[in-house]
Amino acid sequence: MSLTILTVDDSRTMREMLRLALSDAGFRVVQAEDGVHGLEVLSGETPHVIVTDINMPRMDGFGFIEEVRSDPRHRGVPILVLTTESDAEKKSRARMAGATGWIVKPFNPVKLVDAIRRVAA
Amino acid sequence: MDPLAAIKETFFQECEEQLAELESGLLAMEGGETDSETINAVFRAVHSIKGGAGAFSLEALIRFAHVFETALDEMRSGRLAPTSDVLKIMLRAADVLADLVRAARDGEVADETHSQALADELRGLSPDAASDETESEEDWGDFDFKPLAAAAPATTGQWRVSFRPRADLYAKANETALLLRELGRLGPIDVELDASALPSLADIDPEAAYLAWTVILTADVPEGAVREVFEFVDGDCDLEITAVGEADSSDAPAPEAAPEFDIAALLAKVQDAVAEPAPTPAIVSQPTDEPPADAPARAQVSGPSATAAAPSAGATIRVDLERVDRLIDLVGELVINQAMLSQRVMEAGLARASAVAVGLDELEQLTREIQDSVMAIRAQPVKSVFQRMPRLAREVAAMTGKQVRLVTEGEGTEVDKTVIERLADPLTHMIRNAIDHGLESTEAREAAGKPAEGLVRLSAAHRSGRIVIEVADDGGGINRPRVKAIAIERGLIAADAALSDEETDNLIFLPGFSTASEVSDISGRGVGMDVVRRSIQALGGRISITSRPGKGSTFTMSLPLTLAVLDGMVVSVAGQTLVAPLTAIIETLQPREADVHGIGGGVARVIAVRDSYVPLIDVGAALGYRTDPINPSTGVALLIEGEGGGRAALLVDAIQGQRQVVIKSLEANYRQVPGVAAATILGDGRVALILDIDTIVAVSRGADSLRSETRMAAAG
Repeated sequence: MSLTILTVDDSRTMREMLRLALSDAGFRVVQAEDGVHGLEVLSGETPHVIVTDINMPRMDGFGFIEEVRSDPRHRGVPILVLTTESDAEKKSRARMAGATGWIVKPFNPVKLVDAIRRVAA
Repeated sequence: MDPLAAIKETFFQECEEQLAELESGLLAMEGGETDSETINAVFRAVHSIKGGAGAFSLEALIRFAHVFETALDEMRSGRLAPTSDVLKIMLRAADVLADLVRAARDGEVADETHSQALADELRGLSPDAASDETESEEDWGDFDFKPLAAAAPATTGQWRVSFRPRADLYAKANETALLLRELGRLGPIDVELDASALPSLADIDPEAAYLAWTVILTADVPEGAVREVFEFVDGDCDLEITAVGEADSSDAPAPEAAPEFDIAALLAKVQDAVAEPAPTPAIVSQPTDEPPADAPARAQVSGPSATAAAPSAGATIRVDLERVDRLIDLVGELVINQAMLSQRVMEAGLARASAVAVGLDELEQLTREIQDSVMAIRAQPVKSVFQRMPRLAREVAAMTGKQVRLVTEGEGTEVDKTVIERLADPLTHMIRNAIDHGLESTEAREAAGKPAEGLVRLSAAHRSGRIVIEVADDGGGINRPRVKAIAIERGLIAADAALSDEETDNLIFLPGFSTASEVSDISGRGVGMDVVRRSIQALGGRISITSRPGKGSTFTMSLPLTLAVLDGMVVSVAGQTLVAPLTAIIETLQPREADVHGIGGGVARVIAVRDSYVPLIDVGAALGYRTDPINPSTGVALLIEGEGGGRAALLVDAIQGQRQVVIKSLEANYRQVPGVAAATILGDGRVALILDIDTIVAVSRGADSLRSETRMAAAG
């Protein structure tokens, strides 16, 4: 059974890159455009891994992670943070919010899939 | 297409959107909207461009975006105040960023000196923050597994990893089994579980962590590689990694003898071991009263954000333009077909009240609605073209040394995409003109007691089925004596011509007219308002000017909302069916013999309409359907208003009715015919020509009285 990955990113470019890289790797991909949309998608999907951006309109990645972690249905889902911010402060804020791990942009498909494999059961 | 190339295309499209967002955000901040939402949106725009640029290794773009982003981050965190000076630099930086994006898109090399200069200015805004320039590009290697060959010298063959997770590790959805699996990828592992801390079942907290593991990893890898496995859980566990000494390693099983690492067995073992404390949501939420207490709080959080976000959340789809055009074409055919059907039913002599006729009426209404809805698909806000104007205004202002404030209104006004695309050039030209010619120099303004900063207002609005766009300046207005002098000097009008103010103002639309005594490098050479007028006319639009000395000028353009349909007056002329655009028609009248007078030896005729005389043009004669004009009293006159407000009466044989017609290009299907704007297909299946009223008026006036051709053209 192929794993379902939810990606949350406001950039259309990023969404398309993620979709390409992940579906090439054999994952089923569902996508959302920001945190609020991500939560909406989660009401009808149970992804195995979530990959989310940090900087987004409406609800940013931190807020999104906190919401997912407080939802009994999804709080056990590994969440990878995808962001260009590589500074320690962003990482630690994401971790405080409950992120499982991170991927630093720009990513290549190998790095991305590798990171997902590391957190996916 | 190669998927990556397609994504790259998406990236550049998205860049344009982000650039527009960036500029409007910065302009809003300049206007005082310095709330965090606006600053964040501006930051995100640059951030997104940088992110995408990184994915495609567009180095020049990444470098500049990074500096820009750093400065914006300073502003976002409140360390840099959004003063007007700072915002001016940011706006210019936005322009440079746009140039870099376009250079990258077109595969050109951008002007590095320019972007370098602005990058320095941006760095100057926040000297402390700009030091870590290369950090973001350097730091992304931390996810690669180092090749084993690159092992540091201080490796031993074995590592002892003591690992005790804390509850936080599980709360973040990390999993011991997976970490062990990762270790297993480095080499054979021998895992020992320490369950000594496990309390009795009754005392177990399902969310707590009680287990610890000790792993002997037999692999010739550096410590960093082992540590990297635990990168995500750093801080959420007690971790000790020690090299197993030579002596120890001889006690341990030889690497070759190590059993093949069996992930399934290990997982099963681990799962058994952690079955009890593993945080399964169902167990967690039931015994405690958490969910009920938690739910309202969550609802509160998501409630407002969901409602606040609703307006912008409108789901959109992207559709190939070709498909939309095909749909519009088909709906056009449907409209024609429906009209033909109506006509057939009428011809069949069915009563108006018959069920078929009533059904047809409903069909007609539905067809109209479908047509309107399909047209709405192509409609877009004029924002996309208005947005390009602030940059233009800044550049022209800088070149002319004038202070200019550009105010835009009605950006959300929608009009057909084709109209929008073709509006960009005329608008660009008019804004340039308004600043270059319309506004006075700063000194002159101050001397006249006006604010030093000139105001140019660009607005759009819907008015009676058309879009009206105005470009207004608060400059000196049209210098009528000078305009007249120039027109006489160039032989455009007779020296003794008596022109009204309105007619004088309209002289600037004449071909070859340029009010600037020295051709400036801004408004360009040889391109005058006549070109603007022609492009507006080509869109089925009209342009007019009003001017008040000392107060400024206003150019008003009125354009159709779509180029696909036209409200027309269907008329008969010499046995032909023609369509006159309804927008040009002011009224229709029945000419009386007594009102019509011959002038110029009887060749040209005028008709008295209330208290003025307007030229009477026989359409049949003008188009060459007949040589002798008909008796006016046997026909109907359409009083029309042409460009610039000049009036004329078009004489036709009869009026058939008013109808919306689907425009079919004559130029594309046949060739351009003077006096004919386009064609349409009527209900009876016949082709009808759509009149180009302004050309007919101009041509017949020229033929009637060559003496005053240019003058009349200016007035008409």
